[in-house]
Order: sequence, then C-alpha cells, then structure tokens
Amino acid sequence: MTPAQTTQAARRRRLAPRLPGAGMATRAGVTGAACLLSLLLPLLLSQYAMSVAVTVVTFAILGLGLNVVVGYAGLLDLGYAAFFAIGAYTSSLLELHTHLSFWETLPLAVIAAAISGCIIGYPTLRLRSDYLAIVTLGFGEIVRIIATNLNVTGGPNGLYGIPAATVFGTSILTSNAQYYLGLFLMAVAVAVTGLLSRSRLGRAWRSLREDETASEAVGVPATKVKLLAYVMGAMVGALAGMFFSARFGAIDPTSFTYNTSVMILIVVIVGGMGSIPGMILGAVIVVALPEVLRPISNYRLLLFALALIVLMLARPQGIWPARRSRPGSFTAPPEPAGAAPAPAGRRSEPGSVLLSVAGLGHSFGGVTAIDDVSIDLHAGEILSLIGPNGAGKTTVFNCITGLVTPQRGSVLLGGRSLRKLRPHKIVSLGVARTFQSIRLFEGLDVAENCLVGLAAHQGRLLARHGLLGRTTAADRRQALRWLEFAGLSGQAHLLAAQLSYGDRRRLEIARALTSAPLILLLDEPGAGTNPTEKQALMQLIRQVRDSGVAVLLIEHDMDLVMGLSDRVIVLDQGRIIAAGPPAQVRSDARVIDAYLGREETGSGETVEEVLGWHS
Amino acid sequence: MSAFLQYLVNGLTSGAFLALVALGYTMIYGIIRLINFAHGDVVMVGSFAGYTMVTTLVAQHWPVAAVVLVALVAGMAITGGLGMLIERVAYQPLLNSSRLAILISALGVSLALEEGARIIFGAGFSSYPNILPAANFSVGGAHASYVQLAMFGLCLLLMLGLYLFVHRTATGTAMRALAMDRDAARLMGINVERTIILTFLLGSVLAGASGVMQGLYYSQINFIMGFLLGLRAFTAAVLGGIGNIPGAMVAGLLIGLIGSFSDGYVSSQWTDAIIFAVLIGVLVFKPTGLFGERVAERA
Repeated sequence: MTPAQTTQAARRRRLAPRLPGAGMATRAGVTGAACLLSLLLPLLLSQYAMSVAVTVVTFAILGLGLNVVVGYAGLLDLGYAAFFAIGAYTSSLLELHTHLSFWETLPLAVIAAAISGCIIGYPTLRLRSDYLAIVTLGFGEIVRIIATNLNVTGGPNGLYGIPAATVFGTSILTSNAQYYLGLFLMAVAVAVTGLLSRSRLGRAWRSLREDETASEAVGVPATKVKLLAYVMGAMVGALAGMFFSARFGAIDPTSFTYNTSVMILIVVIVGGMGSIPGMILGAVIVVALPEVLRPISNYRLLLFALALIVLMLARPQGIWPARRSRPGSFTAPPEPAGAAPAPAGRRSEPGSVLLSVAGLGHSFGGVTAIDDVSIDLHAGEILSLIGPNGAGKTTVFNCITGLVTPQRGSVLLGGRSLRKLRPHKIVSLGVARTFQSIRLFEGLDVAENCLVGLAAHQGRLLARHGLLGRTTAADRRQALRWLEFAGLSGQAHLLAAQLSYGDRRRLEIARALTSAPLILLLDEPGAGTNPTEKQALMQLIRQVRDSGVAVLLIEHDMDLVMGLSDRVIVLDQGRIIAAGPPAQVRSDARVIDAYLGREETGSGETVEEVLGWHS
Repeated sequence: MSAFLQYLVNGLTSGAFLALVALGYTMIYGIIRLINFAHGDVVMVGSFAGYTMVTTLVAQHWPVAAVVLVALVAGMAITGGLGMLIERVAYQPLLNSSRLAILISALGVSLALEEGARIIFGAGFSSYPNILPAANFSVGGAHASYVQLAMFGLCLLLMLGLYLFVHRTATGTAMRALAMDRDAARLMGINVERTIILTFLLGSVLAGASGVMQGLYYSQINFIMGFLLGLRAFTAAVLGGIGNIPGAMVAGLLIGLIGSFSDGYVSSQWTDAIIFAVLIGVLVFKPTGLFGERVAERA
C-alpha cells in the first residue's frame, strides 16, 4: 500500500465506528428526560446549586457559539472569550449610559459582536488553521488588555451597577429566575445553531472542515463561508455576555481571559464537536466537576486536569459526539416519470469554442512549468492533454481553475476572463474539476458530497434562498440522479471514506458534475483503476460528453486517451509539441522523441510498446 | 541613547531565554502538528527543579560554579524526562485521533503541572538565592553583566547544537522526514514513536535550560510563570514560521526586543497587546511567518 492509501485506510477505520452505542430512540428518550429535568431543577436543588446551574447554562451558550466555529467549520479559535466580553461590555455600557433596557441592547450587542467577528476574521481567514489559533488568541488578549486599560470600560475595576434584566416588568434577581432566563436564551442558541447545522451553510462548513481546496473546487466560497462561521459564533457569544453582565450587575476584565476561552474550548471538545447535546453535557462537566470537588479544594484543579486527560484518552471524540446526518434516511424520493439518464445542465452551441487558453505561462521559483500554452476547447468534445511526468499538465489545470494565477497569458470562458478569479467563482461560471489525488469530503456521506456542489452551484448557500434553507426533496432528487448517472446510487448513505478506489473516482466526477458545468477537467481519472473499472470509466466520460459537457482530460493511460479523445494535445517541458486527432499524434516524430528520448529512438522499441498502445 | 542600549541588552537576554522555549514549540509542532500548551509549564518545572538544587547545594556551601552547573544539568535532566513522560502518557495514544483531542490533553497537562507546582511550592513567589557575581561592564552608557553575557552565549551555543543535530545527523534527518510525512517516514524504516519522543526530549531539555537560567537571572519564580512565557514563545514560533528552527531563534530574540522596548517606551500593561498586534500584522502580510515554514503541506 502506498502511504496515501495507508492514511486513507486508517481514516476509514477511524470513521467507521463513529455511531455511539445509543440508538436513535434512546437518544430521543434521554433528550426528553433531560429537558424535563432541566425545567424541574429548581425544585430539586439548593440556592447555591442553582447559581452553579446558571453558570452551567452560561457556558452551554458559549459552547454552542464556539461549536459553530470549531465544531462545524473546523476553525480553531483560542480567543472566543473576546466575543463574550464584547457582548457584556456593549450591553452594559448602553444600559448604563443610555438607559436602554436589557432586551433593547440585545440586538446592538449582537451586532457589535458580529462586526468584531468580521474585523478579526476578514484579514486572517486565508491563514492556515494553526495560525488562526494564535491570531484569535492574540485578538482575545488584545480585547482584554484594551478593556483593562481604557477609562470608558472602567479599567481593571470594570463596570458595576448594571441593571438586571426584566421580564414582563419583573426584575430577574433570584437564582431560579436567572436560571429560567438563561434556559430560555440557551434554547434560542440551541435552535439557531441547530438550524445552522442542518442548513446548506452547515454542509458547506463541514465540507470546508474536511478539505478546503476541494470545497472551493466544487464552488463553496470559502472565505465568505468561514467569515460567516465567525460572525454566527460571535453573535451567540455576545448573547452569553449580556446574560452574564445582567446576572451579576458587574463585570471586569478578569472574567474574559485566555483561561475563559480555554474553558469554552474544553466544553466543545469534551462534549463532542459539532453536537448540540454535547455542548450542554460539556458545560455541566467543566463547571460542575470543579464544584463537586470543592471539599478537597486544594486538589480540585489538579484532579480536574487529570480527569480531562483521562477523558480525552478514553473518548477522544468527546462524550456525546455529533451523530452522522441521519444514516439510511437518504432513500430516493419518487422519480418523476421519464427522467433523463443525465440531469439537464447548462447547454452550449455544439462546435463553438468554450474555453480559450492563449499564451499561458507560469514559473515556480525559476523553474518554468508551462510556457506559451494555447488550447481551444470546443463544445461537445473530449480533448486530452498528455505528456511525460512534469510536462506541466496539472499546472495548466490549476491555472484554468484558479488554484494558481498564471503569470502570463489569458484564460477565457465564452469570452470572459477567468484570470485572478477565486476557484469557487470559476466553478460557478461552469468549469468543474477533479484532482489527481482524489479529494473527497471523507467524513460526509456520498450524497452529501454531491449536495455540497449542488447548493453552491444554485447560489442558495447565501442570502438568496435564506441562510438557513434546508435541503429540499428536489435537491436530494437531483443529487441522487447524478449519483445514479455515475453508478453510485446504491452507496448514497455510505461515508465517502468507505468507498472502494474506483467508486471514489466516480464520486469525485459525480460531485464535479452537480455544479452543472460547461466544462469538466479530469486529472488522471484512470490512474490506479483495473481494466474493468477502466471500461466503465470510459463509458462514463462518454456519457458526460454526450450530455453536453466538454471534457478536458489529463491521462497517462493510452488506451483511455486513444479510445476517448476527439483531439490530443501533447505537452513536453511546459510547451505544446503536437496537437491533432489521436492517430496523427501517435505517429508524430516529436511525440516519440519526447517519450523515448532522442538517443534511444534507434533502440528498436516502438513507441507503441513503450506506451502500451495496442490497437 | 543609553536607555535605548539598555533596553536592547535586556531585550536580547530575555529574547534568548524565549528563543530556547520557542524552539520546543516549533519542533513539537513540526513533528506532530500539536501546539504543546504544556511546554511553558515544562519551563516552569525546570525553574523549580533548578531552585530546589540551588537552595539545597547553597545550604551545603558548594562553590558557586558547581551549584550553577549541577542546577542546570539537573533542571535539563528533569524536564527532559518529564517531556518524554508527557508524550508517552498524554499524547502518544492520541496521535491518530483528532488534533483537537490532543490539544485538550495538552491543556490538561498544562493545568496539572501548574496545580502540582502550586501544591508543592505554594502560590507565592519563590526566590533563587542571589549567588551570581554582579560584576558588570558598560557599553555606551548601558550596563551588561558578565552573567548576562555568559547566559546569552550559552543560549546561542544550545541553539547552534540543536541546529547541527537536526541538520547534520541521521536522527535529525529522520526528524525532518517525519515532519514532512509520517506514513512515508514509517515505511522508510524510521522508528516513528522513538523519533517523536526524542523530539520531546530535545525540546524539553532546552526548556529546562531556559527555566534554570531565568530563575538564576530574574530570581523570582512562581507556578504560573509558564503561562505568559509559553504564550510569548508560541508567538515567536509562529512569527518565525512554525516548524522552522532558525526562524524560531530569530523571532524569539525579536519578541524579547519588542517586549523590552515596549516595557521601556510604552508601558508594560500594553506589551502583550503590542506583541500580538505585531504578530497579526506580520501574518496578514506574510501568512507563513517571517521566514516561511519548513513544514510541507500535505496534499
């Protein structure tokens, strides 16, 4: 096995037993009982215990908010307490200076947090996640230091005399009343983050968490989507901050330290990333465990720390990990009668030039990868790009799809320049691709892999059809039809990581097709397939072409190239050395030289033998 | 001018201590992609180990040079052992789990070390006895002690040693290979577990040296000292391009200087905000840190 396959196999093993023992019915029962218990809690517990419960609720809200960032979108945030602070300070300052009530300041505090989420997020989101960790940590510390040193925020002493929240004219003062208010706010946070996780946006976040490059390549606007995760998380954090300040009537910077951020992160990881009940459980553990250990006060934090390590060793996925999106629920909705084998995509005039690449050139640190490459791709054709390894084929793909901005030359799609556009934008204009090393969203199921591309293409990800838009039956039908087209409809409910190698290739093609492209770029789809799989693959690629999608193919397998292509372009050392119909190219002297080397042309081997061309 | 030089001298000294710690962050991150939150606390343990040795030996009237030498070696040995123990117990079982699980485990280790030290040594400050000669010389109005100079030299020597080890020995090559692709390295016959644990040993030994020197130099230590130190050292590691060993050395010195100048010209209350603002500013324009990262991205 190659290292890549080893990793893949390991990942598959890791993903397979993800469902915890408890079945669906048990989970529903436990959830119902927990809701009832939480409503009756004040009847069972002392005043002191109730005040601990209010803290648990606060941390649960914070956990739910951070869960959007860390659990859904997979972005590490070590300064989340900043948004907690911004909510608390904004609300308190407004209440103290303008006499707005708790509820009136709520939208303003939430907006303030959302704006700061944008400010920190925007310049830093292109950073890799580990850099993001330190930047968010720094942001958290900067917010705290500013609050400590400014007069308007009361400096190190903070603010006091903040009025309590009122509900129907009654001030919320007792622990029990605060508990119910907190429970209400927590229910709001549960509802909002629950809707988010099931929305198209939620799926886009998960795809981003699995593989950012692949997710941009199927049309997810990565930067925007990441920024939204920060903003949503920040808004929920502000809610907790407001509640916190109204509860105590006083706030100071020591409540919003790095330690607070770490505690919230522990809530998320211990509870189980991405899981809503997990956040509440995590909050109970993080807040209540040290309280239970209070009798041995000198050792309680030490024991807490050791418990944390043991917990992680025993359950690295958290106590109540996120459930996979309803396994088996992806049954095919009834097919409308007379469905076409390939779903209708965008159509283009047969024979017209779709994609025009002219004078393309790019160097990597002095090494010229491609030089003066010009390609015209016509509607309805299969054009192959061949050449020895290192000839620059994949670089051409990367320049077309926006992963690399070419240094010279132009890329035009129907007259429109693709140069300097972000990858997701290029997808939405009609250019889809697959990768040489397959890049699937391993932790999502097969159908979801397609749904990511679908939603992104329809532009429904963002505001147009509602942020919280759920997947419709029509979407599912559409995704399923593409899977059927690729011969994968029976595997729709499996995790992508559980598919066989050939099926992984096919899924990547199906996923690319869901964005209804004009052009499909396939990077070595035949690599590693056996003869049977190869035949099926050729059939699939022909069907793609027949459905009206032009195909640009990189391939080393000459059976595939010669059997499929309408035209072949040969690259060598970054330059085009031959172009034309397959039969013409294979007898071209320059091609034979490129593959065999000039010195060896007389060695008796024919190019057919070397390349395995046998017609 | 003399104030400027004085800040420069102080900044270089604290920067050298910081650089030793930043190296540990960068090496451990490079090899297992873990932000080792416990690393600052390993420095703290080294400091307390040195403190225990120094107070014990001074009470027995050992000569100063011997006290310093034994304290340094003991501090480094104890942190080295501790680093290996932490890796074996808290990280190794999680190497194939999600990276956040191992991160939380590191936070647990960090808190456990802090609390352990608080229980043993108390919450207040402990003071190293003042045993080092105070002799100093002045350069352009700034004072630098011979001790400062010696410590700075020792830091540079340790860094040079590490650099040579990583780049000139077979084990060092194995470490770099492992940082690029763990699976491929394993298939090439590299003992992955042993190499990882060795990385922790090296990083922690440097942390121990830094801890003992800081104790001797600043005298005051406490159980929470690792927190701020860790934060700044981690910042230095990222600033230098995480995974990049020479980058961590230079950025460590740089953060030391920024801290010293900010303490002197602005206010120590704003120092950490300034350090983080510099970091964020650099990362916005150069997303892989000042010197880029040597860590190969996995495709």
